[in-house]
Amino acid sequence: MNGLLEHLSQSLRLHFRNRMGLLYGYLFPLIFLVAFWVLYRHEKIPLIRHMGELLTVSVLGGACFGLPTTLVSERERGVWRRYRLTPLPTWAFVVSTAVSRYVIILSAAALQLGLAFSLGMPLPAHPLALWCALTMVSFAFIGLGLVLAMLADNVPAVQALGQCIFLPMLIIGGVAVQLASLPSWAQHVSAFFPGRYAVEALQACVSGGGLASIDFCLLALGLIGVSGCSAGAKLFRWDAAQRFAASTGKLWLVPVLGAWFAVGLIAELRDKIAVSIDGVTVAAPVAAIPAPVPLPPWAKITAKDVAALDFRVPSDGGVVSPFAGPEEEASDYTKDEVEAVRQGLLTWRPGLEGDDVQRVRNLVCVAAVPDSIQQPVERYLPPVVLSYLQEIYPKDKLIKILTWIVLHPEDGSVIDSIADLGVQGTAGDPAIVRERSYLYALKFIMRLTGRIDG
Amino acid sequence: MVLPSVGLVATGGFKVETKVRVTGLRKRYGTNEALRGVDFSLQAGEIFGLLGPNGAGKTTTLECLLGLREPDAGTVEICGLDARRFPSDVKRKIGVALQSTALQDKITPREALDLFSAFYLEREPTLRLLERFDLVAKADAAFETLSGGQRQRLALALAFVHRPEVVILDEPSTGLDPQARHELHAEIRRMKRDGYTVLLSTHQLDEAEALCDRVAIIDQGRIVATGTPHELVSTAASGHVVRFSASRPIDPAALKRIPGLQRLRCDGLSVYFETEEAATVVTSLMGLLAADGAVLRELDVKRCSLEDVFLKLTRPENNSVSLPA
Repeated sequence: MNGLLEHLSQSLRLHFRNRMGLLYGYLFPLIFLVAFWVLYRHEKIPLIRHMGELLTVSVLGGACFGLPTTLVSERERGVWRRYRLTPLPTWAFVVSTAVSRYVIILSAAALQLGLAFSLGMPLPAHPLALWCALTMVSFAFIGLGLVLAMLADNVPAVQALGQCIFLPMLIIGGVAVQLASLPSWAQHVSAFFPGRYAVEALQACVSGGGLASIDFCLLALGLIGVSGCSAGAKLFRWDAAQRFAASTGKLWLVPVLGAWFAVGLIAELRDKIAVSIDGVTVAAPVAAIPAPVPLPPWAKITAKDVAALDFRVPSDGGVVSPFAGPEEEASDYTKDEVEAVRQGLLTWRPGLEGDDVQRVRNLVCVAAVPDSIQQPVERYLPPVVLSYLQEIYPKDKLIKILTWIVLHPEDGSVIDSIADLGVQGTAGDPAIVRERSYLYALKFIMRLTGRIDG
Repeated sequence: MVLPSVGLVATGGFKVETKVRVTGLRKRYGTNEALRGVDFSLQAGEIFGLLGPNGAGKTTTLECLLGLREPDAGTVEICGLDARRFPSDVKRKIGVALQSTALQDKITPREALDLFSAFYLEREPTLRLLERFDLVAKADAAFETLSGGQRQRLALALAFVHRPEVVILDEPSTGLDPQARHELHAEIRRMKRDGYTVLLSTHQLDEAEALCDRVAIIDQGRIVATGTPHELVSTAASGHVVRFSASRPIDPAALKRIPGLQRLRCDGLSVYFETEEAATVVTSLMGLLAADGAVLRELDVKRCSLEDVFLKLTRPENNSVSLPA
C-alpha cells in the first residue's frame, strides 16, 4: 500500500512539473471553454447547457491522450521495465496510474467549472451527482486510455489511435455536435460510443434531473470502464521491446469492444436512442422506416392568428400585470431577488421539462405568480422571463407558443409558487395565475411583434 | 557435495552458501535458440562475471534470471527460492542496475530513492544512499540534468534501497567516461568488501579480469568456460602472446618449424602466435630472420589475458592457423 501511495503521489508531482502535461491537461480545456463562451456569447446560449460536452472533452483528452502518452513514453524510456524489477504487483501500478489520472482529470474539471462560474454560469443543479458522474465518465475513459497505451507501441501510435477514438466520438458520438443535429443513422451509431453517455450523464447533473435520470448512462459507462480497466491490466506491457503484435492475451480486446457493442445493443433494445433537446425528449427518427413527425398544434399558428389577438391589456405601470420598462432598474431591496431568479431560471426544472407549451407556460408563471400575490419584485420579473424565453427559443416559435397559450388559457397546468427561485409566497387561486399568465403572454407577444418597445 | 535444502556447498571443510543457481536454462525465439542449456552458480560474497559477445545470450540469461522473460525450460534459484514460483520474494532479495536505467526527466535522485524504497518492506535510509553514492550535491536536481556517471551511480543506489542479498549489474560501465568507470569499479569492489554477492554482465574483458572472482563465458547460448580469470587463462591459452612484423614476408612453413609455437597466424608482414616458452621461441625467431636476411621492425611479447581466452573461445577461427595464400 505504501508503494502504491508513493507511486501515486510521485506521478502527480511529476505531472505538475511537466509543462506539456499542464498545457494539454489544464490550459487547453480552459481555452476551449473561453473560446466557446466568446463565440456564442452574442447568441446568449448559456454555458450551463453545454457543460456536459465541455467536461466530456476534458475527460476524453486527459484519459485517452494524457494517460497513454505518459504511460507509453515512460515505457519507451525503460522506466516501467525498472518498475517491473520491484516486488510491487502489476495491479498496484495500474491502480496507481489510473487514480493519479483520475485526480488530474478531476482537478482539470474543477478548474473548468470554476472558470465557467466566473463567466456567469450558475452552480450545477446537482453538485454531488456531478462528481459521481465525473467519476464514472473518468473510469470509463481511463479504462479506454489504458487499452490504448497497451495497443500503442510508441507515442506517435498513441496519437494515431487516440484520434481514431476521439474524432468519431466528437463528430458522430454526441460529444461536440449535439445528437439532435445529427442524422438518424448517426444517432443510432452514437449509442455504441461512450461519449454520448458521458455527455448525457454530466449534462443531467449540471442542468437536468441528476443521477436518477441517467441510470442507463451510468450502467453503460460502468460496463465500458470495467472492461477497459480489466483488459488494460491483462494486456499490461512493461517493456518497449514487447510489441503488441507479438504480445499474448490479444483476445482481451474482445471484452472491450464487446462492452461497447453490448451497450449500444441494449440501448437499441430498450429504446434508449431518443435524444434530449434542452430537456425535451425527442425520439430519434428510425432510419429504415422514416415515420412522419406530427407537427404540434401550436406550430399551425399563423401570423393572421397572432394579429387577431385582443391586445387590450392593463397598463404596464398598473397594479395588474405590471411590467418594468427597459430603463427601469430594480430597487436595492429587490435587485438581489431579481438576480437570483435570473440565475435560477437556467436550471429551473419546470422550465426544462415537458413539452414546449408547458415549459413556456411554467416560465410565464414566474411572472404571473408574484403579480398574483403582489410581491415587490413583481414588475421586474416579466422582463427577466421574456429575456430568458428569447434565449432558448427562436422568435417565431416563441410567438406561436405564446399565442397558443393565449388562445388556450385553461390548458395544461400552472405553478402556484416560485419559492424554489427565491420568491416566497403561494398563489391561493390557480385561476388568478392563469389570468395573469394570459396577460403576460399577451404582453410578451406585443413586445416580440413590435407592438410595444422593449 | 550440494546440500539442496539450504543451498550450501561443502568446500574443503567449510560450507559456502550458493546464492544463485541457474540450471539447464533454455529459451527460443521462433527458430532462434537463444539459450541452449545454461548452467552456472554464484557463491555468497563473490563477484561473478558473465561474459559474452553480442547475441551470445547474456541479456536473455539475465532477463530470465530477473523475471523479465519466461524461460522455456530450466530453473533459476536465488537465495534458495525458485524464481519462477516466487518472483516477488526473489525481487526482495535482489538489487538490479540495468544497462540503461532511465527515469522520468523531472524526478530527482532523492524522490527516485524514496519511491523505489517504498516498494520494499526493508529499506535503507535515502540520505545514507545519497552519501554512499556521492549524490548529495545532486539530490534535488532533475534526472535530465545528471551526467552519465551520476545517472549510473543513481542506478546503483536504486539497487541498494532495500539491502539486497544479491546485486545484479547489467553492463554497468557502458557509455561511461574513464573517470566514471574508475569510480564504478571502486564501488563494485566496495560491494564485495561489504559482503554482497554480485553478478556482473559485461563485454569489457579488462573490467571482468580486474573485478571478478569468477567468470563464465557464454557463446551461442551455452556456457563455454567457467572459472577464475587466472584458471581460464592458464587452461585455455598458452602462456604468452607474441606479435611481430619484419621488413619482408616470412615463410610460414619456416615459422612452423620453430618448436613450442602455437596458433600461428600470418597476415602480410605481421605475425601472431602463442607460446609457453617465450624466451626460447623469440631467440629461434631472431635466428630465422637473420638467416632469411629480414630485419625485425616490431616485437610485442605479453602474457595471455582473459581477452585472448575470450577471443579464442568465442571466435573458433582464431584457433586455427591462417596462412597467406
